[in-house]
Amino acid sequence: MLTRVTNQMTALQSQHNLQAGASRVAEAQGRASSLQKIAKPSDDPTGAAEALRVKSLQSALVQHSRNVDDGNGWLSTADTALSSADSLLAKVRELTLQGANEGTLSQGARDAIATEIDGLKKDLLAVANASFNGRSVFAGTSDAGVAFRDDFSYTGTAGSAVTRRVGAETTVRVDADGAAAFGTGPASVFSLIDTITGDLRSGATNVATHLTALDARVTDLRGVQSGIGASHAQLLRADDTLMDTSVTLEAQRSGIEDLDLGQAVLDLQLKNNSYQAALAVTAKVLQTSLMDFLR
Amino acid sequence: MVSTFGSLNTAYSGLVAARTGLDVVGQNIANVNTEGYTRQRVTTSSVEAPTRVGIFSSGVVAGQGVTVDAIARLGDQLVDGQVRGTAAAAGYQSVRATALSTLEASLGEPSKTGIASQLGKFWNAWSDVGNNPSQAGPAATLLGQATTLAGSIASGWSAVDAQWSGVRGQVDGLATQLNSAAVQVADLNDRIRTAQQQGVSANELVDARSRLTEQIASLAGGTVRQAADGTVDVLIGGNALVSGTTARSVTVVGEHSMTAAAAGGDAAVSIRWTHRPDESIALDGGTLAGAVSLLAPANPTGTGGTLAQAAASYDALATQLATQVNAVHSTGVKADGTAGGEFFRLTAGVPAARGLVVVPTDAASIASRKDGAGALDGSVAQAISQVGVGTGSPDATWSAVVAGVGAAAGSEGDRSTLTDLAASSAKNRQLSGAGVSLDEENVNLLSYQHAYQGAARVMTAIDEMLDTLINGMGRVGR
Repeated sequence: MLTRVTNQMTALQSQHNLQAGASRVAEAQGRASSLQKIAKPSDDPTGAAEALRVKSLQSALVQHSRNVDDGNGWLSTADTALSSADSLLAKVRELTLQGANEGTLSQGARDAIATEIDGLKKDLLAVANASFNGRSVFAGTSDAGVAFRDDFSYTGTAGSAVTRRVGAETTVRVDADGAAAFGTGPASVFSLIDTITGDLRSGATNVATHLTALDARVTDLRGVQSGIGASHAQLLRADDTLMDTSVTLEAQRSGIEDLDLGQAVLDLQLKNNSYQAALAVTAKVLQTSLMDFLR
Repeated sequence: MVSTFGSLNTAYSGLVAARTGLDVVGQNIANVNTEGYTRQRVTTSSVEAPTRVGIFSSGVVAGQGVTVDAIARLGDQLVDGQVRGTAAAAGYQSVRATALSTLEASLGEPSKTGIASQLGKFWNAWSDVGNNPSQAGPAATLLGQATTLAGSIASGWSAVDAQWSGVRGQVDGLATQLNSAAVQVADLNDRIRTAQQQGVSANELVDARSRLTEQIASLAGGTVRQAADGTVDVLIGGNALVSGTTARSVTVVGEHSMTAAAAGGDAAVSIRWTHRPDESIALDGGTLAGAVSLLAPANPTGTGGTLAQAAASYDALATQLATQVNAVHSTGVKADGTAGGEFFRLTAGVPAARGLVVVPTDAASIASRKDGAGALDGSVAQAISQVGVGTGSPDATWSAVVAGVGAAAGSEGDRSTLTDLAASSAKNRQLSGAGVSLDEENVNLLSYQHAYQGAARVMTAIDEMLDTLINGMGRVGR
């Protein structure tokens, strides 16, 4: 119980209150200008840890989006290449059928067909060596620069795939298996076409016998293409998910870290008011003493 | 019956008492803003009537005026004790709260440049290397990011180390202050005892001593024991720092660098008696105790000194980062087909946080592919990019460190606010009793002024009475 009030007491108390008021105003000012709830970890230790977690998820998400874009490039390139390969093979098949009409075609005409098919083969080889960002999309992890060499040997390593991580738990294969699509070496579609042109030129065998093999290669090609389509669909779904997650994460981060402007300004105004009141009261109280009233 | 001039003497004693009262009011008003000044008051007592001797003395006799007994110092030992006790607690907490708030700021979290966001960029750089193995661009980004991360961890550790050294220096300074305060208290004890034996007012000396004991309490805790001869004994950690007119001194033992002090035992920082340097003093509060508690070595249970513990968590982060990245990196092969080996190397002989070195120098020396897979396989790099995910990851460790330091800083700050509040309320109580109130002094001034005027009036009256008696007698009827 305080029975006496002394001058030092009043002065000390006023100083203490003014200091506290000023520091509260400064704090509110800092918050209002930065609009951040958590300026230092001790403001909300759990919130700070949560904010770090959310930010690390956001940072990973940015990377995943980049990976999706990159994967998109790979898959689009592979898809376009396989579509061209498909139409090239259709032309080859058509020409082979033409060449199979032995009765009506002269050897010169067959030679002409063989030359045309040779041209198509070159195109097909170029398509099979299609590249994205300097890497052959059918060559997997190879660094040879092409998927198929001139002797039709495949440069890729069996069983190794190029994948892109598009989610914390999801990876998508973004390359196309060149060996499955075009075959390798003597079993490749290029060797088959060479056999067809050889037979056309020599006339020894009716090229119609190769149609089954050619159809089998087209089926394989389409199989790989549908695989690419499935991967592409997966990638697009992942992209959608990433978009959604990015919105959710941003909302979470904002909820943890950001301060409502209205609330911040109101808070600052309140603190400022009470500080000004303290100043006014102190100025009034410290002025008066008995000496004002003694003659 | 009093003697003829006895009444004059009575009036004179009133004048003297009023004058002394005015002097003391003057001293009080002069010291209204002096820190540690305790208000004083004149204690007076009335002088009894002379004892009646002789057979012819008769009638009732008035007292013989007033004597000034002493100038009392209106301090309250109980409140002074409370002030000292709360100052000790406030001093202890304030040092700890300040240190933790500095430590917290040195973490640099949450921010866009802190270790957490650098870890995120580091893992992303691995993902880019995984996407484009053996390309110079992503590899250079990765190596740059890894070097920056290692640098950040090292500079975080160094900031803690610098703070440790700062506090260590502070401890030396505080111990010197404590010793000098003890010597001064012993000296004042001597002067106060002499003054009291001579009957001289020692109030101002007691004020000075009280200020010093308060300083000792806020430095090192401690209790004050009043002795009968006016001296005080000051005890810290249960033993006398000042006993009568002799002062003992304390000394700080322990190494001057955090790494050296980590050895514990005599290398750890502690406060000891100069005359008995084998055992440390268990201080029960004060800034010195707070600072020493910050400097304690780290221990595996995490209950060691705050600063060493923070440095240990930087070391743990560096070790964990190196171990987990290396574990995956060593499963891969470099461009030339040799085994991956280390990505981070921990330099021997220095703390892990300072010795984190990035081993690869270019794309060819980063083991981003598995052995047997193609030359442009990036699966090992992809796997490293996932090291940061999950509960045992360096990211999770760092986030726990940040939350831990944040929580500690918050609670130490709150405790410091509370102890400050207790200290300021005790100080308030002390000022309420011992402080000078100008209004009160003005009232006293008035009353002593009136007392002086009254005594002077009495003197005049007696003077006139005696004048009538001496000069006016025997002239009746003239």
